[in-house]
Amino acid sequence: MLFAVDFFLRRLVQGLVIVVLVAMLIFTLLRVVPGDPVRIMLGPMVTAEMAEETAQKMGLRDPVPVQFIRYAAQVISGDFGHSFVRSAQGGSTGGSRGGDTFDASNRAPVMGLILTALPYSLLLAGLALGISLVISLPIGIVAGLFSGRWPDRLALYLSSLFVSLPNIWLALVLIFLVSVKGGLLPAIGYQNWTYAILPALVLAIELSPVFIRSASVAVSSNMMESYVPSGIIRGLSRPRMIVAHVLRNSMIPLLNVVGIQAIGLLLGSLFVIEYAFNYPGVGLLMINAVFQRDFPVIQAIAILACTVLVLVNILVDFAATTIDRRLQY
Amino acid sequence: MTPELVSTTSVAQPTLRGQRWLSATMFINAWRTTEFRIGFFVFFGLIVLSVLGPSLFGVSPTKISVTDKFLPPIGFEGGNWAHVLGTDQLGRDLFARSLIGLRNALMIGLISVVGMFLLGSAIGMIAGYVGGWVDLILMRITDAQMAIPVIILAITILGVSRPTPFSIVCVLILAGWPAYARTARSVMLSERRKEYVRAAKILGASDLRIMIVHIAPNILPPIAFVAVLEVARMMIIEAILGFIGIGIQPPTPTFGTIIADGTKYLMNAWWITTVPGLLLAISLCGINLMGGALERARNKLLQGVS
Amino acid sequence: MSEAHPILRVRDLTVELQSAASRRKVLDSVSLDLHADEVLGIIGESGSGKTVLSRAMVNWVSRPLEMTSGQIFYHGEDLRQMPVRQLQVLRGRKISYIGADPTSALDPTLPIGHQIVEKLKSVEPGISEADARKRVIETLQAVRIPSAAERFNEFPFQFSGGMMQRVMIVDALVTSPDLLVADNITQPLDVTVAAQILRLLRDLQAEYRTAILFVSSLLGVVNDIADKVLVLANGRVVERQSMQGILQSPEHEYTRHLVRDMPRIWEAQSEVPAVRARVNSNHGREAILSVRDVSRTYATKDRSRLFGKQYVQAVRGVSFDVYKGDSLGIVGESGCGKSSLSRLLSRLEEPDSGKILFKGQDVGGLRGTALLNLRRGFQLLLQDPYNSIPSHLTIGRTVAEPLIIHGGRSKAEIREKVAETMAEVGLGPELAHSLPVGLSAGQRQRVNIARAMVLEPELLILDETLSALDQVEQAKLLGLFEKLQVRHGMTYIYISHDLGMVRRVCSRVAVMYLGRVVELAGNGTTFFNPGHPYTRALLSAVPAIEHRPYDAATYLLEGEPPNPINIPPGCSFRTRCPFAFGRCAKDEPTLLARGSGDLAACHLAEGGMPAPGMSPAGLHDLNPVPALRSGTGA
Repeated sequence: MLFAVDFFLRRLVQGLVIVVLVAMLIFTLLRVVPGDPVRIMLGPMVTAEMAEETAQKMGLRDPVPVQFIRYAAQVISGDFGHSFVRSAQGGSTGGSRGGDTFDASNRAPVMGLILTALPYSLLLAGLALGISLVISLPIGIVAGLFSGRWPDRLALYLSSLFVSLPNIWLALVLIFLVSVKGGLLPAIGYQNWTYAILPALVLAIELSPVFIRSASVAVSSNMMESYVPSGIIRGLSRPRMIVAHVLRNSMIPLLNVVGIQAIGLLLGSLFVIEYAFNYPGVGLLMINAVFQRDFPVIQAIAILACTVLVLVNILVDFAATTIDRRLQY
Repeated sequence: MTPELVSTTSVAQPTLRGQRWLSATMFINAWRTTEFRIGFFVFFGLIVLSVLGPSLFGVSPTKISVTDKFLPPIGFEGGNWAHVLGTDQLGRDLFARSLIGLRNALMIGLISVVGMFLLGSAIGMIAGYVGGWVDLILMRITDAQMAIPVIILAITILGVSRPTPFSIVCVLILAGWPAYARTARSVMLSERRKEYVRAAKILGASDLRIMIVHIAPNILPPIAFVAVLEVARMMIIEAILGFIGIGIQPPTPTFGTIIADGTKYLMNAWWITTVPGLLLAISLCGINLMGGALERARNKLLQGVS
Repeated sequence: MSEAHPILRVRDLTVELQSAASRRKVLDSVSLDLHADEVLGIIGESGSGKTVLSRAMVNWVSRPLEMTSGQIFYHGEDLRQMPVRQLQVLRGRKISYIGADPTSALDPTLPIGHQIVEKLKSVEPGISEADARKRVIETLQAVRIPSAAERFNEFPFQFSGGMMQRVMIVDALVTSPDLLVADNITQPLDVTVAAQILRLLRDLQAEYRTAILFVSSLLGVVNDIADKVLVLANGRVVERQSMQGILQSPEHEYTRHLVRDMPRIWEAQSEVPAVRARVNSNHGREAILSVRDVSRTYATKDRSRLFGKQYVQAVRGVSFDVYKGDSLGIVGESGCGKSSLSRLLSRLEEPDSGKILFKGQDVGGLRGTALLNLRRGFQLLLQDPYNSIPSHLTIGRTVAEPLIIHGGRSKAEIREKVAETMAEVGLGPELAHSLPVGLSAGQRQRVNIARAMVLEPELLILDETLSALDQVEQAKLLGLFEKLQVRHGMTYIYISHDLGMVRRVCSRVAVMYLGRVVELAGNGTTFFNPGHPYTRALLSAVPAIEHRPYDAATYLLEGEPPNPINIPPGCSFRTRCPFAFGRCAKDEPTLLARGSGDLAACHLAEGGMPAPGMSPAGLHDLNPVPALRSGTGA
């Protein structure tokens, strides 16, 4: 109990530090790169004075640290600001319209945009993770148990193949074969949950090599621990040693991999795959925001993504310490 | 090479080996596997092709020829030997374009991996060796950097600035170094307690000398072996960036732009997207087979020794 | 007794090691009989096949090893022909095996009690959870694990090596087997802990009536437990005899060597002659190294409080002098602070308080060139011959490294000095250009010595330098140190757990317990008339084939040293001391001079403990402490 309190207090504080660092980094980057957001908000027709006036009003000409502190204060109160380009009614305004001065109240709040897109992304991510675990855990475990023999080789070849398929290419090939030629599954956009299957499959194939590899390494290294032959000599059967001890202990590295690598990979590839499938999740929102220089959306998503990663990490580490108590020391 | 679980624990033999020898053994063991050889020949075959190919076949990757547009690869109806993999919507030769794309992707992959390896290992080694506050600060920075997924960082930076090969490499290095810093640090933590480090300290060697002359040659080769896998990952990311439109800009051909261009013609000219992608996948497979074999050889040896 | 029907009968057992190119016999036609209630010792050095033999008894032989012929009868049934399922139940239930590495024998992530219960339920399927639990806790109590019911729920890493070995004994005996195979079970343990385990095993054997096959590489250990002995050399049984017989009239050439080369502590002529000459001639000589009230504390995280820290007191107020040309031994068991002390002495760390003076100059606080120059004067030799020299540099380059670091010499001078030093320590000139790969442990240790000697130090600190080497190599290197001492007037500090070696080479000995020096005395006094009960306990626990002046019944300690975080007030040894009395809890004894300048930190140092069980044969030049004070407060 005491350990749990100590653990979470320490890790949450560290996590907060990390998130603040990331926020600072992203915020600063977005402000030092070329490209004036005011131009994008107001369109090309607006006069220089007008643009300058808007920028002054919005505080975009203040020093970056001042802007960051203002932003951080907003975020703490739960407000991630308003989109530069999307109107509150939905759809993009910005450049094409031109002429008007910028008015935050008719722009969509960033949080609202994210919350609308989030369920789609969660569905896709959950489906991808599920498919990938179902495919790769059995392969990885068997490969680990028969380390050095044919299942192990098969797993190596399979994961080498999977990891070599560029996800965008695989997405297009699957769209072409399954959706266009085969007509088996819908692919572009979103109308019901079947639209998530194909992108989830692409993501699952990208995730699988990581799981296969870490499962087989974890199982085979546990099989080499001396407690395994020792347990068999002590009178426990080999199947029991494998199920009750080896597989249980292999969970620790696996949890770590799921936590750190898989979530990170997923967060990254999710964006690309949503873009390739025109799937209306957070990733599509993000990539469109990048094209439109919609800074409030970009920084909010980046900050949230890294918060998720940090939180998952903390949970995974905690789970690992409850399986292996040595990690508490 | 006895992966049998009992035999490794049964007869305790004095199998402690030197690290240099260990690296060599690792490489030799990896080389003995079929996977490694297949990967090696595929990969180097493609490298030779991509370096010599364009001049050898005398086809230009950027020459537009409207009469030759939408030619399918040979083996399909209408294909011809002048354009082995067919042509795109502007009649450019896809084989030549793919080879140039491969060359660019490989250069970016290699340079960025070398860069992130050097930067990450240096930071990790310093953090692990010095410890204390330096370690704490460096590792929090590493964690923060690691908490931003590569793609998000890349599209944030490249999306809002102008992508050039140099800026792409910089972004990839920036996104990739933390993994190396973490690995190097954790190896350093156990390494700095080893007796040879103590021995060097007692002789009076400076910390910098101990790190560079004594520790680095021991810990870096195994990390470098696994970095081979990273080259393939960076090549995929380069393709993704090109696909989104924030990679190397046209007219220089990259896999990403070729694939993205082809999506519009997926219905009637499927090969524009799929065939170059296949070439990329094959070369990545080569790299991954080599990297996988090296990684396994390393794991096997490290487990066997400890 | 069932003389006609032994529990275990092995006939012509042959085990071969198979590799792609060749096959080699690891065991060659080994036969043995083990009767009920008997302890059969098997002695052999590493590589003799004794571990393979003990594992064959539980049918634990796997590739590349293979049993090629012979039978192993357990109650007349051949284990090699037995179906797997039957064997599975038999081993663990009727035949138990304990190995040399208790800390990795159980799953590290589950509580020990649960794992023993799991085994018990597996080999005795009918037993209920509650009964199994009860039986395990009772057996934990039987091996004297304190507060057994709580420790039932603790994890393997929370046990010390000695306690974990007790847990493994519980695991082995909980099913009341009639055959126990104990393979080198005391090997990783400290002497007093190993002696405790041996005594425990002897008691349990009497109680459980289990036949034991006791395998060890140490004659002294086997001597303490076995009735009969079987000597194994290169996979063959070269001699079988009663324990007495082996010691008194060994028949085979190999056994004779074994008994003859066993280091003796108390028999005359144990010391190297030069040591004898130096004993008691320290007075009036120059102290090359002075340690003055040195302490070192490490902070670790306290798990019982939020953000808490606790302090491990590794070295507590240690003082001693080392005289020029002398050899000082520092002995003690793991955790006594001797390795922390060695880090302080070699200036890898600085003490929190106190001073270390090298030739009158304070070592602490020096930086840069001043420290570098000082380092020339003293060098440390480390324990691990494999990890202490870089494997990617040639041997010549490794030996040259200190000269390069210290600078001021031309390439030619360095080359010459390196060649000269390598020759001096017995490394052939051809080795200068080769990598250390393939060098034996002894050769590697010579590279270490050369690397230290090339700076021409005056003081060498040997931190367990010889403990990784076998008897023969040890003797050779001791000879080398002797030679260097005579030629260069070297001073040595031997930090070691090996009392036999210290007895041979050190003129003075410091005994450490819980971070303190509890006794600092001349060689003779330390071994024949020590003033501290801990020294006596160490001596009573040394595996030996001689008669020990300090018998285990009186002196052997129970339990383990207290946690160095919560050191009890008063004398830190009193919690385990068989002679502790009221005053020990209040006054912490300081090192006080006994006769002839020997120091001991005990209220009873001047008397109050029983007399040694043997007249000190080698003490003609010392005055043994005369009368015993009558009556102790114990």
